[in-house]
Amino acid sequence: MNKWIACAALITGAAFAAPGAGLTAKKLELTSAGPLAFGPPGILFVGDSAGASLIAIDTGDRKARKGSGSIELKGINQKIAAALGTTPDQITIQDLAVNPVSRNIYLSVSRAKTPVILKLDATGKISELPLDNITHARVALPDAPADVKDARGNSKRMETITDLGFADGRVFIAGLSNEEFSSSLRSIPYPFQSAAKGASIEIFHGAHGRFETNAPVRTFTTYTVANKPHLLAAYTCTPLVTIPLSELTPGNKVKGKTIAELGNRNRPLDMIVYTKDGKDYILMANSSRGVMKLPAAKLESYEGITSPVADKQGVPYETLADLKGVQQLDRYDDKNAVMLMQDGGSMDLRTVALP
Amino acid sequence: MPFVVFLLTALCALAADIAVRREGPSFRISGAKSASGIAVYVGDGDVPPVLGAIEKDGPDFLFRPRFEISRAVASRVVVNGKVFPFPAEKIAVEQTTFVERVYPTATEIPANQLKFYVQFSAPMLRGEAWEHLQLLDALGKPIDLAFLEIDQELWDPDGRRLTVLFDPGRIKRGVLPRDEVGAALEAGKTYTLLAKSGWRDDRRVPLRAEYRQTFRVVAEDRTPIEPTQWRLTVPKAGTREPLVIAFGESLDAALAIRLITVSAPGQATLGPAEREWRYVPDAPWPAAGQQIEIDTALEDLAGNKVGRPFDVDTFERITVRSGRGVIRLPFHPR
Repeated sequence: MNKWIACAALITGAAFAAPGAGLTAKKLELTSAGPLAFGPPGILFVGDSAGASLIAIDTGDRKARKGSGSIELKGINQKIAAALGTTPDQITIQDLAVNPVSRNIYLSVSRAKTPVILKLDATGKISELPLDNITHARVALPDAPADVKDARGNSKRMETITDLGFADGRVFIAGLSNEEFSSSLRSIPYPFQSAAKGASIEIFHGAHGRFETNAPVRTFTTYTVANKPHLLAAYTCTPLVTIPLSELTPGNKVKGKTIAELGNRNRPLDMIVYTKDGKDYILMANSSRGVMKLPAAKLESYEGITSPVADKQGVPYETLADLKGVQQLDRYDDKNAVMLMQDGGSMDLRTVALP
Repeated sequence: MPFVVFLLTALCALAADIAVRREGPSFRISGAKSASGIAVYVGDGDVPPVLGAIEKDGPDFLFRPRFEISRAVASRVVVNGKVFPFPAEKIAVEQTTFVERVYPTATEIPANQLKFYVQFSAPMLRGEAWEHLQLLDALGKPIDLAFLEIDQELWDPDGRRLTVLFDPGRIKRGVLPRDEVGAALEAGKTYTLLAKSGWRDDRRVPLRAEYRQTFRVVAEDRTPIEPTQWRLTVPKAGTREPLVIAFGESLDAALAIRLITVSAPGQATLGPAEREWRYVPDAPWPAAGQQIEIDTALEDLAGNKVGRPFDVDTFERITVRSGRGVIRLPFHPR
């Protein structure tokens, strides 16, 4: 298997010099595997919170699959547990990302404390991404927890990566510290520089009422608003905020514009942007308000919300009642999204036609 | 007919020749003709085979699972359609893990308390916190959505300390959940933090016992930390007497230990209710001037930082200090 990958890397290496630039083939030690995102063709970014780092893996998976397809795996948690030789209560599916070129689905999974990256092909076959000799690069998170020890010589500070995204040649990383209350958004240019500078960016978003703090971004995606790339970020209970990427520079203090209040007592879980019949939409999975579909046209035309709202305001949305228990979602192809759905004790993975 | 009987007998003999036994984490398969008919399964229904490698070992085949299969989990080896079951073994495990402490240890906390730290005696399993941690009112009724339920859960690297944030929506001023359903904590009332005994450690074994910590809620605290108001007890030069800071309020336990430093190497500890910081140097204090350095990211129980309150009015110009800084308090051992 490894030989095959090495061979494939050799063959594809010349054609794809750029995506793999700065990466070297060696053993990848993952301390944890959290959020996933694809960047340049075949390059998978993995957030390793416990290792306070971001990893770019060249999966070598660049064989394009055309057309549209579907996949349905009932009890994906049971299947993954079985493949890893354990019971479903021993595994946690952290995130999923679809390789937009090959449409293979990558999953970050913890088997007890061991992080594993799995690949699901179009037939639903589960395989492990072998990390023994894989082309990758690792960059420490800027401002990573200083190696400060407590009285017993332990360091307890950790920054948990809550979401990852690639846009505009940069990887954006949303994180939350387990000590100081600071939500951070970092941007790291890819290919990684030897020492990635780039301090955290503070975002203040005017939502709800007059008083706001540096609240944690729960999930985000990128989208062009008024011809400029923007970050679309969703926060707990549930403002949707736009921030121009150009303003997201290290150390900058940014004030986002709240373009929608999507209802309170809710946590946004995941979000994608897609096109259907020539129109763009945002699809957002939520903890208690189901899956929402919002028109993405002319987001710049919405006034920033600057005063308390009763429940909802700004960009309108419809709730897709038949999609229940959606935990994770990603674009699968031009016509479908892939969703991880909790149904009682079972977790299903299936493609759903983009609404 | 005789031929069929012969064939069946031959097949049985063939199957009877196959033997499977566990050998450490591996399965040794004897008598199989090729590796192609060998697969190992865990779990019922339509499940894929266990990931692993099959290699030839003398006359046998050895299946090495990618991850060791616990003997507490039932597994089966299938060789050319014949099933060799390995039932789950009972492995006795003792419930030894417990909640060591919850910070703040103060019995009174502000109504805009920002977080708790729950410290366990051993590493815990991830993904179970929000089922097992509750905030109860004085009547023992759980308060709905009191905490910011972050799926990833904010653990320390050892998995022994969980950081639990109150939902900022229930702390911040002018925010709807709070206007609608009230703040999670109301001044004058008593609450209990409950860690249920079903919460499992990383061996998948429940806690030894549940844990409760009760506290009374006092008025909100919206005042930034002001180190110039702290009371210092300066040690004698040439001794290892502690340098003591009385904060005049309770501070965040983790940050007070990490973000208050002195150049002379030593150990910091916190006094009762995290209202006091004590620093014992490794070597006697020199007779020269020293400095206490305070990172402005230090927080009190309500998340107010040094020179910066927890929440700011974002519809005004943001004029509060942003980012990190250091404040220095000089002292001279007597």
